[in-house]
Amino acid sequence: MTTPAPAHALTTTRVLRSEWHKLWTVRSTWITVLTAAALLLGVGILMGATYTSDGGDSDVDTVVLALYGSQLGGIALAVLGILVTAGEYATGMIRATLTAVPRRLPVLWAKAAVYTTVVFAVSFPTALLTFLTAQFFLSDTDQAASLTDDGVLAAIAGNAAGVTLLGLIALGLGAGLRSVPGAIGAFVGGVLIVPEILGMLPYEAMDTAVRYFPTQAAGALGSATPLPGAASPGAALLALLLWAAVAVAVPALLLKHRDV
Amino acid sequence: MIRAENLTKRYGDTTVVRDLGFTVHPGTVTGFLGPNGAGKSTTLRMLLGLDAPTRGHATVDGRPYAAHPAPLTRVGVLLEARSVHPGRSAYDHLMALAHTHGIPRARVERVLALTGLTHVARKRVKGFSLGMGQRLGIAAALLGDPATVILDEPVNGLDPEGVLWIRTLLKSLAAEGRTVLVSSHLMSETALTADHLIIIGKGRLLADTTVDELVRSSGGASVKVVTPEPDRLRGLLPGAQVTVEAPDTLLVTGPDAPEIGRTAAAHGLALHELTPRAASLEQAFMALTHDSVEYQGAPA
Repeated sequence: MTTPAPAHALTTTRVLRSEWHKLWTVRSTWITVLTAAALLLGVGILMGATYTSDGGDSDVDTVVLALYGSQLGGIALAVLGILVTAGEYATGMIRATLTAVPRRLPVLWAKAAVYTTVVFAVSFPTALLTFLTAQFFLSDTDQAASLTDDGVLAAIAGNAAGVTLLGLIALGLGAGLRSVPGAIGAFVGGVLIVPEILGMLPYEAMDTAVRYFPTQAAGALGSATPLPGAASPGAALLALLLWAAVAVAVPALLLKHRDV
Repeated sequence: MIRAENLTKRYGDTTVVRDLGFTVHPGTVTGFLGPNGAGKSTTLRMLLGLDAPTRGHATVDGRPYAAHPAPLTRVGVLLEARSVHPGRSAYDHLMALAHTHGIPRARVERVLALTGLTHVARKRVKGFSLGMGQRLGIAAALLGDPATVILDEPVNGLDPEGVLWIRTLLKSLAAEGRTVLVSSHLMSETALTADHLIIIGKGRLLADTTVDELVRSSGGASVKVVTPEPDRLRGLLPGAQVTVEAPDTLLVTGPDAPEIGRTAAAHGLALHELTPRAASLEQAFMALTHDSVEYQGAPA
């Protein structure tokens, strides 16, 4: 207590380190990440094991088929994104966090960076493993494919990128709404359901616009063959990146000025 | 050093803090007093930049808190509201905060030991009692070995031993030359540790004074005297202000207890009790804040 304060300055790298530490020291991270991985792999095995060439699913994209579980797993990872931001408001931790980092914005950037890295680093290898496992069952069906086939590896990476960026949108919703149930509701309602409804409306312009909505864009990214009525993978990736950028930028603007 | 100038916080039509200005100096314990709802916590949050003032500004060592390159080494703070993830262990909570400033693990272990939490450091905060939670908050406040320490209602939930520990800690922090600001709604508790007092009510500054001054301004300390001959004693203390509490009990303001005792002895007058009373401090506080108490009990 009598020693003078050491010169420990606040740096971006240190804030990243802190957010990394925070992420792995709560159970919810392990639960959501393992759940997502298990769902992806489990559903993939189920799809592979139950597939028959004459079952009427021959026109389903082979990567979409194998990684069908990423839709469910993605929800678990979106919940993780929401817990990373809105969770701090629920527990009050945000007051300690923003007292340590009073300039505030580095906290949100660090959360987004750590989350994106971890989710992609988990999703991509899990998706690869799931594809290969599913192919083990599919090798003598009309869905037989290999990683070297046209567009397959890109689609697997695209699936992981799609899940990651959708999760980043959820993280942004959590940061903006500051409520875990509120953000989960907004994500499920606004990101997953509303575009489906809009897509069903009988307006062609709407139909075209919906292609570039987050979930639909992620779908297009994760398909080895172009889906009918979907955006091209390049356009889909760009759209999804823009959605994620807006989803993080808006709460960043709010974070700078709102009371905690 | 903390300086607040014209601090004002308005929520819609309600002004919670109004034109508040004060300075908190290093080397002393400053008590930040006011009834519940006086705006103490809001003021402290504005000092830390957690809430933005509607008007006015606050600085720590000449700069806004957020402008310091290493904020945790400038100010350590215990906020009234819990600021911990209950699922994280005490050690991991402190380590997460320490990482932001590159504070080493050894310092985390040091503050855990200092606050008596070493044996529960790896347990999840969820199971902590109110007192242990307060200790963890204080450990977090001391983490950066800060020059200024701000504690919002630190004795809340502490057992008598913990209260005593806080008093000693506050005094030693000030003795080391640190700026110490402690909020409380209890005058008696604050008077035991604080030298300087900033008293607010309904968001306004009511007094910026010292404990001694407040005692003096409230008419000084009084002495309770129990004697079988109250009327005779009154006659022997011509300069004193005397109120009759009971037929045999007087409350004397003016002469101190030794003087009253000597006078009584010199005249062979029996005394059954002779007790100095500092209760006037509490009364001074009540008188000062009476008009600004948010919820007042009506006489039955």
